[in-house]
Amino acid sequence: MPNTSPPIPPPTGPGSPQDVPPPAGSFPIDPSTLPPPIRDELQAPDPVAINTSAAELKDGLNRCPKCGSTEIKQKPGTDLLICLYCRNEWHGEGVEEAFGLGEGIDQLTGTVMASGARDIAADAASMMTFKCPGCGAEVTVNTANAMTARCHWCRHVFGVNEQVPNGAVPDAVLPFHIKKDDAVARIRQFVDKRQLFALKEFKEQFTPENVVAVYLPYMIVDGNVSADVAGHAEIETRRYESGSGDDKKTYYDADVYQVDRHVDFTVDDLPLESSAERGNLDTRTNTNNIINTILPFDTKNAVKWNASYLAGISSEKRDLDVEKLRPHLEDELLSIARAQVQKSVGRYDRGVRWEQEHLSVHGTRWVAMYLPVWLYSYHQPGPNGGMLHYIAVNGRTGKTMGSVPVQHWKLLAAALTVGTFLEVISLFFLRHSS
Amino acid sequence: MSHDGGMWLLAIGPAGAAGLYWGLYRYYRNTDKSHDFEHETAVEAKPITGSEKKVGEVKGTQETRIDGDNVAAYRKRVQRIQDNTS
Repeated sequence: MPNTSPPIPPPTGPGSPQDVPPPAGSFPIDPSTLPPPIRDELQAPDPVAINTSAAELKDGLNRCPKCGSTEIKQKPGTDLLICLYCRNEWHGEGVEEAFGLGEGIDQLTGTVMASGARDIAADAASMMTFKCPGCGAEVTVNTANAMTARCHWCRHVFGVNEQVPNGAVPDAVLPFHIKKDDAVARIRQFVDKRQLFALKEFKEQFTPENVVAVYLPYMIVDGNVSADVAGHAEIETRRYESGSGDDKKTYYDADVYQVDRHVDFTVDDLPLESSAERGNLDTRTNTNNIINTILPFDTKNAVKWNASYLAGISSEKRDLDVEKLRPHLEDELLSIARAQVQKSVGRYDRGVRWEQEHLSVHGTRWVAMYLPVWLYSYHQPGPNGGMLHYIAVNGRTGKTMGSVPVQHWKLLAAALTVGTFLEVISLFFLRHSS
Repeated sequence: MSHDGGMWLLAIGPAGAAGLYWGLYRYYRNTDKSHDFEHETAVEAKPITGSEKKVGEVKGTQETRIDGDNVAAYRKRVQRIQDNTS
């Protein structure tokens, strides 16, 4: 007769296996016993849906398709790559066409991420080491500020083309079009218009030739959203004057309406700074708003990631993940929604006071991209570390914006002079009219 | 000219000085500038829907606009209603 005794219950209490945390990635409860919404979320596929990594460049060497040389650079002013050995030229593949990033935005659901936009691994280091297949030397690249390095023995050029999990390698890069001479001329022109009240030390040290080409990290986001706003609005019904002479005053009657609006919309290629330092636009502590102002870029022309576009150009590493950027994205989407509904409330001639707003994000698609910026910086000494002033030039469109430090005493003297002049005129009028 | 009108004229000097200072400072430092993403991003919107209902009247106000008008202040956030997840 078989033994039918019940199975022994697993041990519990201190020191038992139940005290040990479950292995990473496992879930202690059978998902099929859970309510459908939780089960769906647990069993949802990995959000990384678009793999943009370039397996063919994984060994760090980007070879000329004609002669095999690694001496490859971007041809200035174009999106072409050029082999410096045999002068062969070719065009990087457009990231929009390669991965269909411009399509189906209105069908987006959930969070779709390209592989370069994945979360930054907490233990990832900035140093990448390649073993040169030509001579066996080890070549190190600091991905915090560079993407290429040269073998010091056999002069092979290495590029960080593999998508390392430290957030340094994005999905796409938008090559520089504006050349250095052009950027220098634009910065000089910008400052020439702001000479009179500029800080003396700034003028003395102004050398726009020191401008630096830098690739800054951005997340380019597509979104499929709905938004609602509600509030009160007024329409003027009557306007009349009361009193006489100088005591005459204008009065208004108005009808008050309760108004609400709903809008469904998609956004295509909204750029968000994915470096926490650059994304801080607080103008009391920094001048990063200058770099923000030169947006937008023609991101539709971005090409698939290839470190050869970054030869000799410094870069900044991304340090913000998608989830960290989501509140900022929602904030911008709400602003866009408010701008969209404005034209539908034109009849309220006394304005609208929006009081409540609501946003439903149906789907988003995130692509990590390097965008080209020419940066001229000047550090103004002062309390709390002073202020770093930027003059930035959009590396594609040439749009230029800057912050020029002012000589406050000069500005104050000019304001007081003009104020005194105006005051004398007003006193003159007063005396002759009384 | 009345006494009140005269007092108002006296404010022109300080106001002009402050306005010039602020205007020039902005021209040099551009602290008010940022990317106009509301208008410079490619947005495709479906027709806007909504409703309105007259809820009251205002009589004899001297204000030229509704109190708290924020129709053009897109970035000024108001009470956010979150999704009901139940």
